[in-house]
Amino acid sequence: MSKIFARTWLIMVYLFLYFPIVTLVIYSFNDSPLVSIWSQASLRWYRALANDRDLIASVVLSFKIALMVGLLSVLFGTLTAFVLSKYKRFYGRTFFFSMATAPLVMPDVIVGLSLLLMLVSLQHWLGFPERGLLTILLGHALLGTAYAAVVVSSRLKEMDVRLDEAAMDLGCKPRQVFRLITFPLIMPSLISAFLLTFTLSFDDVVLASFLSGPGYSTLPMVIFSRARLGLNPSINAVAAVTIAVVSVAVIVSSIYHVRTQRKRDHEIAMRYSDGSQ
Amino acid sequence: MATEPKPNKVKTDLLRVEGVTKIFDGVIKAVDDVSLTVAQGEIFALLGGSGCGKSTLLRLLAGFEVPTKGRIFLAGQDITDLPPYQRPINMMFQSYALFPHLTVWQNIAFGLQRDHMPKAQIAERVESMLKLIQLTSFAQRKPHQLSGGQQQRVALARSLAKQPKLLLLDEPLGALDKKLREKTQVELVGIIEEVGVTCVLVTHDQEEAMTMASTIAVMHEGTILQTGTPDEVYERPNSRQVAEFIGDVNIFEGQIETYAADHVRIRSEVCVHYLMHGISGHVGLSVVVAVRPEKIVLSKKRPAGEVNWCVGEVVALVYFGDHTIYHIQLANAQVIKAQQMNRTTDLAEAITSGDRVYASWSGLALVVLVQ
Repeated sequence: MSKIFARTWLIMVYLFLYFPIVTLVIYSFNDSPLVSIWSQASLRWYRALANDRDLIASVVLSFKIALMVGLLSVLFGTLTAFVLSKYKRFYGRTFFFSMATAPLVMPDVIVGLSLLLMLVSLQHWLGFPERGLLTILLGHALLGTAYAAVVVSSRLKEMDVRLDEAAMDLGCKPRQVFRLITFPLIMPSLISAFLLTFTLSFDDVVLASFLSGPGYSTLPMVIFSRARLGLNPSINAVAAVTIAVVSVAVIVSSIYHVRTQRKRDHEIAMRYSDGSQ
Repeated sequence: MATEPKPNKVKTDLLRVEGVTKIFDGVIKAVDDVSLTVAQGEIFALLGGSGCGKSTLLRLLAGFEVPTKGRIFLAGQDITDLPPYQRPINMMFQSYALFPHLTVWQNIAFGLQRDHMPKAQIAERVESMLKLIQLTSFAQRKPHQLSGGQQQRVALARSLAKQPKLLLLDEPLGALDKKLREKTQVELVGIIEEVGVTCVLVTHDQEEAMTMASTIAVMHEGTILQTGTPDEVYERPNSRQVAEFIGDVNIFEGQIETYAADHVRIRSEVCVHYLMHGISGHVGLSVVVAVRPEKIVLSKKRPAGEVNWCVGEVVALVYFGDHTIYHIQLANAQVIKAQQMNRTTDLAEAITSGDRVYASWSGLALVVLVQ
């Protein structure tokens, strides 16, 4: 009885999560210009999408920004993580730690607004910077650095400090220790930090709305503004394409993950079958 | 590295530590004015409980810490201020600290590559190391694919690959289970002796120190209490702390009653100790007499003579198969331990709990220590 209930519950949760997405994908193939009425299957909106210069420009812009945000966040986040995990005592460490992670808990609206105020006054006094790609990039990197710092520092904390000492003992200068030991070992966390901050930036509408200038609309901003003017099925097509890309990425990465895990398990099993100590 | 000229029988000092003190945070004295010398080719053990400063001393030798005071000399050269990567010293870590992303081969080659050794020479050296630790067929494995004992051997090979003047071992057997320890211990000493490297090891395990080291330094609260060969430290401890730290010991407190050049009588609450050799002291001096449990003979019959025995009741016994340890309560409620080999299979003759027994020992089995 309870088993049936549990299963029903599970199915309902899945339906709640994925039914809207499935509908959206199906309706992206709808010929009718009305979002909610099905007429017949067609690729009309995908063709429209291909000719939609604004939308394509916004995708390119979003991609550019997300790519740079990912790189910047990983760079600054790693530096922050290093300071936090390697230097246990310095004046103002607690303050630095809370400041570094504050953007995680600060509402985006507040961050966006305060950045906007700062940028406006900066522009007033210095004539720089013009709002656009650079300012969105700054805002996203600010947020992304905090996320990357958390991801990388959790990995750094796991790392045995003896590895650094062993490397130095064997003749490594401190810079070589980073290049030969630390960097290869934290590589997976750098990749996940990159993916996380990339997505964060690609997906953000709040900060981007505050920080962008004329001619710099990111993809989420375009979708958002069009949705307010009444949905156009070409947005469904954009969404379907995005979902397809994300799904492929997720599937590929999980296959890779399962493969490496299996290989590792197999190797560990091998060591016991050797029978030698 | 056979560059050192063979000393003509006289052992030369390789490592000299002079008055080294390490203070952490301005208050915590981890190492307190330690001086020691380690001879060429020796295996030197720093033995002590946790927090005695032995690990800090080892880290000072490796260069991970800088002494607050004092100097460290290696083969006559002052290395106190050299960073770890410039010292001809390598260390085997307790947790092994093998690089998880590198293969066994790469781990062993790591230190050699840092020295920009020619590739062919590196390959040759790594191969010979792998042969030494008998893991040639495991060269391409990653550390997580090895068992604990194999990882330990790789760690040893990695620290020996650069042919250091001094090898440091931090609790070398600490991470292995008991069965593997004995086997590994023999292998380890075998390899170290084959290579002929001078070795400083840190351990809290007296058995490990006794069996592996040629010299033991007992440490307590940052200072060295006694340095000597394993049997010197065991049979002739210079203080109550050393006697109690190494092995089991029964302690009798008493005063010197008669004092002569060839014998000493010491009266304690439960018995009179008669020592068959002279000690420095005077009549009336308070001393402690230490007797190891295995030096005591138990009997149900009263021993001849009036000295070096006491009587009590067996309150507990711990059976080990080959030997048994008896806990005997004396008249003053003190409990002493006596270890007896189980020489007979006749259970009827055996001493059991509740028996009244006489514990006696030889006048040569005593150690007198100043309170």
